[in-house]
Amino acid sequence: MTLLPSGIAYSQVKKDTVAKENKIDEVVVIGYGTQRKEAVTGSVATVKGDALREVPSANITQALQGRTAGVDISQTSTKPGAAMQIRIRGTRSLTGDNNPLIVLDGIPFVGSLGDISSSDIKSIDILKDASATAIYGSRGANGVILVTTNRGAKGQKPKFSYNTFTGVQTLFSKYPMMDGPKFAQLRAYAIPAGNTTPLYSNGADENNGVNTDWQSLYYKPAMMTSHDIGVSGGTEGGNYNVGLSYFKQNALIPIQSYERFALRMAIDQQVGSIFKFGFTTNTNYSVSEGNGVNPGAVLGYSPIANPYNPDGTPKRVMSTAGGIDQTWIYTRGSLGSLGDKYIDETKAFASYNNLYGEASLPIKGLKYRLNIGLDYRTSNSGNYSGVGVFNTNPLGPSAAGRGNNQTYHWVLENLLTYDRTFGKHKVNAVALYSAEQNKYTSSYMSAKNVPADFFQYYNLGQSPQADITVRPEDQIYWKTGLLSAMGRIMYTYDNKYMLTATLRADGSSRLAPGNKWHTYPALSLGWNVTNESFMQNIKAINLLKFRAGWGQTSNQAVDPYSTMGRFNVAPYNYGSAGSTGIYGSQPPNPNLGWEYSKTQNYGIDFGILNNRLTGSVEYYKTHTYDLLTQKSLPATSGWSSIVSNVAETENKGVEVSLNGVIFDNPDGFTWEAGVNFYTNKNKILSLASGTERDVNNLWFVGHNINSLYDYQYIGLWQAGDPYQNILEPGTAADVIGSIKVLYTGGYNADGTPVRAIGPDDRQIFDTAPKFQGGFNMRFAYKNFELSTVGAFQHGGILVSTIYGSASYLNRLTGRGNNVDVDYWTEDNTGAYFPRPGRHLSGDNPKYSSTLAMFDASYLKLRTITLGYNVNKDFLKDLKITSLRIYFTVTNPVVLFSPYHKFSGMDPEPNSFGNENQAVSGYQNRQLVIGTNNPSTRNYLMGLNLTF
Amino acid sequence: MINFNKKLLLGAIFLSLTFTGCNEILDEQPRSIYTADYFNTPDGVNQGFTALYRQMRLLYGNGYFMSNCQNGTDESTWAQSADGNFKELDMSGNGIINSNTFPTSMVWNSVFPYINTANGIIEKGPGFGIAESMISEARFFRGFYYFMLIQTYGGVPMDLGAGELKYNTVPSTSSARNTVPEVYTKTVFADLKKAIENLPVSPRVTGGVTKNVARLMLAKAYLTYGWWLQNPNGIPTYPEAARNDPDGHNAQWYFQQAYDIAMEGINNPGSYSLQPTFYDVNVGSNDRNTESMLYADHTQSSTYYNESDPVGFGSGWAPDNFAAWMQTWNYTAIKSSKTTAWAGADVVSAVQREAAQPLGRPWVRMCPTLGVIKNTFADKTNDSRYDGTFVTTYRGNWNKTGTGLTSVPVLYNANNLPVQPGGAILSFLNDDSQTPAYPSGSGQSGVGAGTLSGRADWVIAPNGISRIVYPGLWKIGTYRTDDPNGLGYPNAGLTRPFSVAKFSEFYFIAAESAVKGASGAMTARDLINVIRARAGKWKFNNAQNTAYVADNSAAMTAATPTVITIDYLLAERSREYYGEFYRWYDLVRTQKWGDYAASYQIGGASYGDHNPQTITRTIKPFHYLRPIPQNQIDAMEVSSDIKAKYQNPGYN
Repeated sequence: MTLLPSGIAYSQVKKDTVAKENKIDEVVVIGYGTQRKEAVTGSVATVKGDALREVPSANITQALQGRTAGVDISQTSTKPGAAMQIRIRGTRSLTGDNNPLIVLDGIPFVGSLGDISSSDIKSIDILKDASATAIYGSRGANGVILVTTNRGAKGQKPKFSYNTFTGVQTLFSKYPMMDGPKFAQLRAYAIPAGNTTPLYSNGADENNGVNTDWQSLYYKPAMMTSHDIGVSGGTEGGNYNVGLSYFKQNALIPIQSYERFALRMAIDQQVGSIFKFGFTTNTNYSVSEGNGVNPGAVLGYSPIANPYNPDGTPKRVMSTAGGIDQTWIYTRGSLGSLGDKYIDETKAFASYNNLYGEASLPIKGLKYRLNIGLDYRTSNSGNYSGVGVFNTNPLGPSAAGRGNNQTYHWVLENLLTYDRTFGKHKVNAVALYSAEQNKYTSSYMSAKNVPADFFQYYNLGQSPQADITVRPEDQIYWKTGLLSAMGRIMYTYDNKYMLTATLRADGSSRLAPGNKWHTYPALSLGWNVTNESFMQNIKAINLLKFRAGWGQTSNQAVDPYSTMGRFNVAPYNYGSAGSTGIYGSQPPNPNLGWEYSKTQNYGIDFGILNNRLTGSVEYYKTHTYDLLTQKSLPATSGWSSIVSNVAETENKGVEVSLNGVIFDNPDGFTWEAGVNFYTNKNKILSLASGTERDVNNLWFVGHNINSLYDYQYIGLWQAGDPYQNILEPGTAADVIGSIKVLYTGGYNADGTPVRAIGPDDRQIFDTAPKFQGGFNMRFAYKNFELSTVGAFQHGGILVSTIYGSASYLNRLTGRGNNVDVDYWTEDNTGAYFPRPGRHLSGDNPKYSSTLAMFDASYLKLRTITLGYNVNKDFLKDLKITSLRIYFTVTNPVVLFSPYHKFSGMDPEPNSFGNENQAVSGYQNRQLVIGTNNPSTRNYLMGLNLTF
Repeated sequence: MINFNKKLLLGAIFLSLTFTGCNEILDEQPRSIYTADYFNTPDGVNQGFTALYRQMRLLYGNGYFMSNCQNGTDESTWAQSADGNFKELDMSGNGIINSNTFPTSMVWNSVFPYINTANGIIEKGPGFGIAESMISEARFFRGFYYFMLIQTYGGVPMDLGAGELKYNTVPSTSSARNTVPEVYTKTVFADLKKAIENLPVSPRVTGGVTKNVARLMLAKAYLTYGWWLQNPNGIPTYPEAARNDPDGHNAQWYFQQAYDIAMEGINNPGSYSLQPTFYDVNVGSNDRNTESMLYADHTQSSTYYNESDPVGFGSGWAPDNFAAWMQTWNYTAIKSSKTTAWAGADVVSAVQREAAQPLGRPWVRMCPTLGVIKNTFADKTNDSRYDGTFVTTYRGNWNKTGTGLTSVPVLYNANNLPVQPGGAILSFLNDDSQTPAYPSGSGQSGVGAGTLSGRADWVIAPNGISRIVYPGLWKIGTYRTDDPNGLGYPNAGLTRPFSVAKFSEFYFIAAESAVKGASGAMTARDLINVIRARAGKWKFNNAQNTAYVADNSAAMTAATPTVITIDYLLAERSREYYGEFYRWYDLVRTQKWGDYAASYQIGGASYGDHNPQTITRTIKPFHYLRPIPQNQIDAMEVSSDIKAKYQNPGYN
């Protein structure tokens, strides 16, 4: 909740007769304007900048995690600089983008959230329901995050600030792999039925006496540091805020790092009494190093393989499992010694600029404003690996690649606002006409046989011309445009009854002629009961407000040019002559349209006990229809698929936020606490043309979008189990000790099952949690303060591929290293994991994908911060306004998690489902625990200084 | 101040006016992709041709298509690391073929976009001034793909949504199958006949289609259709159709046509010819030879045109060529020792994974049956084809750079005898006259191989061949020219072309037609003796890894029976084309699958298992058609009744 700074433009008429005593009006940014919190009728959550800074982090999304009900922020990767995934009130779209629209200082943001330094955020306001997001029409369906940065204040003396933190990232936990003796035992035990020798013998580089911990040879503690310096101030006519920041994070994986430099500036200037202009700029440059370094390569390395030659030199490659596996050896040392032979970096530069001019018009309360947004982002990547690097063959040719992309974005907005109070009537009206265009280009080329290491990727042209490749699918261009007109009226009567009505029309280039335009309506109502006369005597209740809203929005899920059909390229060689053919992959579809969402939202806001306890409860229901799917066409049509508007989903849920001041003594002990929890029930209502299930995409009507479809583990086959030969055909010697899954077929009259276990026995598993949320607490005593932020989730299914079939880390065959699990043996028939080497399907135990599912519940602290505010009297002599020193631990402890208890690992996902896996098994959209960088626990020291 | 406001107002109005030109913001112009419109231009149509050739990569060289064409026949069964893609096709109770089986769906799910591309070329090409000699390449491929479809599934639709054999842009979600005779007469025969008329004698591009390629395919189609009309074993067809030819000919007429066209191909070879020896046909250094008429090409020199990094890890997926991996056992598990003590640290792999024709990447998914080794290739001395098909000797390559053993001069092997680099480490014996002493389990060799006194190589007799240790497939093995001193890039997809049609098949087609009653200048025996005479010629002995010039042609032809039967031809076809994706189609055409594959023999899937087991298969008449893939049926928006009727009978 942003406090209204004195002197900023949003003036308040302080003549409210009914206003509660001593109450400062809180203002919420709602898009194309602000609104008093009291008058808000839609669903808007606000997180102020101070709260964000309680979690020192590279990316504001990390600081936002767990802060607001209904906003689910998940990490998609543990690599430095990786983006987070934000889902506001669930996942609506099957194939389209589910990311919310980000608006930075009023202009739709086309960059990466990592581009915005978290040091200078004034507030983040999240619009959750359609009555609030309808002003963004065709882009509002996934919610809107409004990021507002600090500005100087009028008449303020220059104020300097310096914020910094530095610390070390340590391993949260290793991946729970077997050590040498355990692995040797597993390999020796993995004997196929009816055989006497194990499946795999020791390879040339393996010896049972060896016990190598490959992870400790790979990971290293890593630094993380941030510096931010700023100055702000103002005169009577204007104000400014300028800042510079630097952030760097290394990774536990060798030679990976992320570094960012950012510059920001905001200026407002009043010209005369009616004209005002200003601009905001956020410019940054970031460098990521070594993102392509394989984080999980070492996990499967045989712990009985020796990394060193007899003479003590490190080995380059090793051969394990009887010679069937050969690998280049990744260690801290091997990567560190590559020097010029290896580089993989991405350098991004972005500049987001926003200019405005504003004038009061001759009619009282009427203003005209012109916003111009001009943004540019470019990123350049380069990679090089020298001869034999990562290749088992020491002569493997060198390879280099170089890519770049550019985003050009402009917006023009014409805004007319009318803001007047007539007695008890308050009217605020906005009319908008805007145009926006976004152009993206990208290219990539690669080369082999680079003549010398020192060229790295800087001159691919030095390679033999025949070895230079520019693949057509890597060269990308698209341009989209949007024209919009919007009107919104906010009306308040006597501070009791509130109404917001919005209408927006959007025309988009992405749709076919004739279908380009659509109009979005929204309406919301509020009733502030506290301001009714009959409430005046109830002192215990400071606020009681009811809200209801309805609106329509959509999602620009149609990819540019997809209405025009698509031909794929088909490269081929006629002997030594290359040629590129084309063939049709998607027929044209001029009828494509948006994915629409209709949302209902009902809320209650309350404040009691002199606002010591405030909170809100909301219920929403979002119905999304005309969802695009890549509809498979029968092969006989000659086309593989067509994108069409066919499916429907629903999200509904309850959100509760509570904030309390439990003790409030500015001179003594203060205890503040906030908690939010929310449910989101996500369900597919229908799929293409009446199909109930789309197994390839794992979509099932009546189930959540990220459902799994697999057999259900019910134990292991034990000697003497009935009907084994019918249900799981095979010799008992092979099947006993293997995974037993649920049989759903029928039984004959004599009680025998009618068939073997087969694909029909697969079940749909809803993966969504029952509820989730976050909490934060702050204890202050005199100059000390202790704060903590935590998160929790109850129910749902966590997929940890390291225990399943996709990662090849739980093959239980003794081929490569295995996660340390309790497996079945003749002497340990009560184990959870199957008997090694028996009843395999391909390279894994049959049904071993069922072993990847875990209870996703957890309760963990994200950060604990201990701060000390240096005494003001002491600072006065040093001309310092304030100085705070703090110590933070991030990811300190998992308080409760079945998965953590089982594996010792962080229970939060770290990869997209199809990322870093040995074999495919999951969809990209499913977040899983896979073989990514290990989770870290960070110890940071920081200070905040103003003078 | 009022003036100022006026200026401002004017400014605002002016800015608003700038939007009047903004409707162009809503126009779209792609600049990096091909949309459907591009196929309405001459350039677009011209680019369609390459796609037609490239389609072959999706099937030929694909190890899963190998399973479709070979597993469950007398030629192959599943090997130790096989999954359902191999076991289901074995017909021996380890899973069944159904509409979800992947290998049997591959033809259906890959050819239609290319048939449609061919439709487009044939329809639009003349209007853009493209010569009929080139358009006929599209006719060839359309005929060829339809011929594959019919052989695999029975009758298939010719109307993709825009009318029979018309280029379709409609996202059609219904489909109706034509009958076998309709498809043969309207497209396969018509297209291939026109292709023969118009295609050039010499190819437009390397490996391009010619008159003779079209002749081979038409002759084979006529022969296949003749069998279908005759239907000697009462195999059902679907959709049901009377065995009457719409053109009013009988089976005999088609056999004669097949014979005549094949003879025309033989007598007008153009740029094609038989290679002097069987070794020459298949040795990697002689790829794209005059006998190879059509192939799915690959290249070692371009990641892009190869569609796979030739020095990286091959995907094991289309469009890579990786069929050879399927029938390669893990020879790297064979043990030798640096000392005679065989201490743990001394034991090494003498045969390391290498990008060489006898070796390559081991996937252990398929293996030959004992019948292949013992009966089909009974003659291993006169006939060069056993030696030119299988890897029977695994030789030490530890001297290659990068093995870590480069400087080790001698390793100790069977009977603790020394072996040198290049020496035999493990051999498959030609016959069962000697019984090696086998260990129980994997033994000292690591792979359960036996010993014969005085021999330094581990040995396995034909009866001891198992699902885990078996002769590899030399003829389609890895071959490349980079890194001659090292182990090369064995894990990349193969960069060799994979054969689709060979000149030698003219002789087989003519001979089979002759057996079925056709007559002409050469008898079936004359024809097959051309092949057998060539098979008797040796240039190189793979087993001995040495040049070996011999001419056993006389012995070979003398051994040819006087009366050639279909059975004899089928055995001869297996000797000539083993592992080249012919077998299931040959057995289905001649309706012999059930007889030939009813049972087979092979040892178990564990090291040291040398006891042949006899496995029976269940092959019913309906199996002669593969199931329509489930995704086709799922994607059709028609009543469940129509869906049920769309599927071939016998599959649910």
